[in-house]
Amino acid sequence: MEYHWDFGAVFRHSELLIEGAKSTFRLAGMAMLIAIPLGLASALLRLTRLPVLSWVAVLYTDLFRTSPSIVLIYWFFFAFPLIVGIDFSTFTAVSLALGLQTGAYMSEVFRGGIHSIKPGQWQAAKALGMGVVPALRYVILPQAIRRMIPVFFTRLTELFKTTSLAAAISYAEIVQMASRTASETFRPIETFTVVALFFFVVIFTASQAVRFAERRFAVPE
Amino acid sequence: MGHEWDFAFLLEQRQFILRGLMGTLYLSLTCIGAGVALGLVFATARLSSFAPLRLIGTCYVEFFRNIPALVQIFWCYFALPILTGMQPSVFIAAATAISLYAGAYLTEILRSGIQSIEMGQWEAARAMGFGYFGQMRYVVLPQALRNVVPPLTNQIMEIVKTTTVASTIAYGEILYSAKLLSDQEFRPIETYTAVGLFFIVALTLLSFASNLLERRLRCYG
Repeated sequence: MEYHWDFGAVFRHSELLIEGAKSTFRLAGMAMLIAIPLGLASALLRLTRLPVLSWVAVLYTDLFRTSPSIVLIYWFFFAFPLIVGIDFSTFTAVSLALGLQTGAYMSEVFRGGIHSIKPGQWQAAKALGMGVVPALRYVILPQAIRRMIPVFFTRLTELFKTTSLAAAISYAEIVQMASRTASETFRPIETFTVVALFFFVVIFTASQAVRFAERRFAVPE
Repeated sequence: MGHEWDFAFLLEQRQFILRGLMGTLYLSLTCIGAGVALGLVFATARLSSFAPLRLIGTCYVEFFRNIPALVQIFWCYFALPILTGMQPSVFIAAATAISLYAGAYLTEILRSGIQSIEMGQWEAARAMGFGYFGQMRYVVLPQALRNVVPPLTNQIMEIVKTTTVASTIAYGEILYSAKLLSDQEFRPIETYTAVGLFFIVALTLLSFASNLLERRLRCYG
């Protein structure tokens, strides 16, 4: 079957896609802003082993990691506003759902990183007269962060891909805009190929950059 | 806001929900099977001594892993039919896209598993007269799989969660049933909460089973 490819039609309608790409970045950024502090807080709570607080953190990470992102998005868009009585914009609903979920994953990333540091380091810090906070700040975290970096960025690329699910509640990110462009131009092949390439290029270059930086700033342990 | 929770209607609609569950199960099993098969093929390609095969393996992984599942599903459902002249069913489109997506992750997991087996095992198997497939099938894979049980089950859980994305092209899995049901009964809170709980319970059980299996295999290892 002969198909005549024509990307020109897509580029003539590129304003929609560019608008969508901006929204994708905005959404990923917002979710990241929610996720990182939340993940850090939850990881530290788990490490304290305080009875109730650490259980809450465990419950939080387990609940959000086992629910599919799209179910969370629907829940925060259709169910949660009814329960609390406030209307959510699609942007708020998706950034909450993805921010909370990524926070749960981040919590495990941070916890894993801190756990990977041997107890000897804690003991050495204590022997030098450091309390828990200085030990974390000057001894544990500088080493833990270096080990977390690869997983941390993998998680961010996963988040970036997951923002595409916002299209399911018609938030105007790039996939939603692509559906619109496809029905306007009657060119679904070209439009969805462009969107696929958009994700591929962004994530691939980002992960290569991280890999490069990792090698560049590697410190022999 | 004083919402009266009422899950009773879910019981009345159990036939309908059961059909959605079967859809999820059916799609999950297909994607897990096809994903593992793809993963095995491309993992061996990536470990091949023949450079072009390695390149194909790397391209497959980088390409399918960096594009969101939703975009791949849309591509298979809206774009591919125009190229091939055949309209796949929603099941085929979703299964193809999710299998390819999952296969990329599984390739990396299986590759790391196979690489964790020492050369001596391959050599010993060759000394016993096994060909390449014999070495792989009877000596290397059984040990490699045991080493990757945790990431493998993790990925299987991710696949099960990803099947919910198929609801966007109206494949009748559990989330799609929930969507229809919530429109029909005007009870989005209960339906989406129930779907969320279903995944939380099912995947928590799966992860318990995985831990059990891991411990079991370690005993005999």
